[in-house]
Amino acid sequence: MNNVNSAILDANTGWIILAIFSAIWIFLGWFWGRKTKQLDDFMLAGRNVGMALGTATAMATWVTSNTTLVAPQFALQLGIWGMLGYSLGCIGLILFAPLVKRIRSLVPHGYTSGDFIRLRYGVWTWRLFLLISMCYAVGWLISMGMAGGVLIHALTGIDYQYGMTVILIICVTYTLLGGLRAVIGTDFIQTILILVGVIILAVLTISEIGFEKMHKDVLSEQPELLNLLMPAAIMFLFNNLLFGIGEIFHSNVWWSRAFAFREGVGSKAYLLAGIIWAPIPIVAGFIALSVSSLGLNVPAADMVGPMVAAKLLGFTGAVIVFIVVFSSLASSLDSLLAATSDLILQDIYRGHINPQASDEQLRRIAKIIIVLLGIITWLICLPRIATLGSLLQYLGAFVASTIWPIAAGLYLKKANSTGAFLAMLLGTLSGIWAFFSIGFYVAALVSAVVSMSIVLISMWLIPDNFEWERLNENANQLTGEKAL
Amino acid sequence: MIVSSGFLSVMVTIALTVTIIAPIVLVILWIKDWKKGQLW
Repeated sequence: MNNVNSAILDANTGWIILAIFSAIWIFLGWFWGRKTKQLDDFMLAGRNVGMALGTATAMATWVTSNTTLVAPQFALQLGIWGMLGYSLGCIGLILFAPLVKRIRSLVPHGYTSGDFIRLRYGVWTWRLFLLISMCYAVGWLISMGMAGGVLIHALTGIDYQYGMTVILIICVTYTLLGGLRAVIGTDFIQTILILVGVIILAVLTISEIGFEKMHKDVLSEQPELLNLLMPAAIMFLFNNLLFGIGEIFHSNVWWSRAFAFREGVGSKAYLLAGIIWAPIPIVAGFIALSVSSLGLNVPAADMVGPMVAAKLLGFTGAVIVFIVVFSSLASSLDSLLAATSDLILQDIYRGHINPQASDEQLRRIAKIIIVLLGIITWLICLPRIATLGSLLQYLGAFVASTIWPIAAGLYLKKANSTGAFLAMLLGTLSGIWAFFSIGFYVAALVSAVVSMSIVLISMWLIPDNFEWERLNENANQLTGEKAL
Repeated sequence: MIVSSGFLSVMVTIALTVTIIAPIVLVILWIKDWKKGQLW
């Protein structure tokens, strides 16, 4: 773990802020969850979420602690294209908008992304998809747990292990109490906090240093960061675009919201969230270009954001940064806990173990799963394994392989289970190969290209003639014979 | 192909402007939904 001597808040202040926000989030989780009686209320917030909360939850979930940490890291490593490339993550939200409408009309009683894959492509493709989804979900959870520990340590000096543990406990507790309703409700408040905090930090950076000086200092010390033809950065741009699309198209975090939003809200909410999200990596990332001007010696690239904030801001500013980071972390962590528990509950427990489980049983099991997910994440996060950026990009190989099977499966009758299975399998394997043989910045790119080729060839060689009505499965009739 | 400081400032200023507008839009939407009883 990196030791940062520039912590600008003392540990006591850090603990006080953590305690205050823990109390707020947990109270709200209890408040919004106290009337939750049905499984649909707990898993999907009653399937009636409006435009404001819908937009905010999509936006907040996509602004992860990784955005706060990794956007400045990529700006430091890849310069202008690092920020723009990360910003292209918004395309995933924007492209998912029309899919939400299609998903709601084709799978009106669905709970998870796994439901669609099972009904569309059959059992074996569904199982492979679950494996990919679980690798991604656990990887993202680890990434965020680690980010929480690192950031709290950087800003307050609180030990990495303590910070990471507290963040996980808080998110597990309020998700447990309120389900998706608590997640979406807190997301709205967290979105406002994140946006206001990021704005303050950016404005202070501009007023303290200014674009002229920042540009001049970068030009003299690391001119390649200002080069629009930096090859690795251009590859990163396309890679990140595909990574973002893959993450959103496959992950149950986004599908569960598609099912949770009120009829007619989903498409508009995702579109607006994408537009609002797009500038965040630039606003949060460009501050890393001030490293030269500030004379900072950055021990690890993923520490650059907090270090610049620590250097630039006084006590009040440091508190704001801490709250922003804590909010962005919580808004994603809670969403992932809820969505992953839904996936395990619906697709593994109900789909494979107990198809006849009652609503009450399922709610009880959902809570057990949330706690177990928290414990597993905590255990894996205890040692800091890899830099955050690398860990995140490693998952690109997995998720990019799902883009074409999902998109084709939603719109094209010819898409078939053999093609979808091979596309996900070979796409993921080739992406992993590219990750280790070439670099992290091409893993998603290679995976998506291989997956696309297989889906297209399979539709040409062995076309299916799928009947869309088969996706309209009644929620209470999850059939064991289909699942098993 | 090195970008100028003007390019950098325009890019960041546009991004910052959209980010400043975002919370205002969200609060307006919240008020509209709340008045109609359609928050969730």
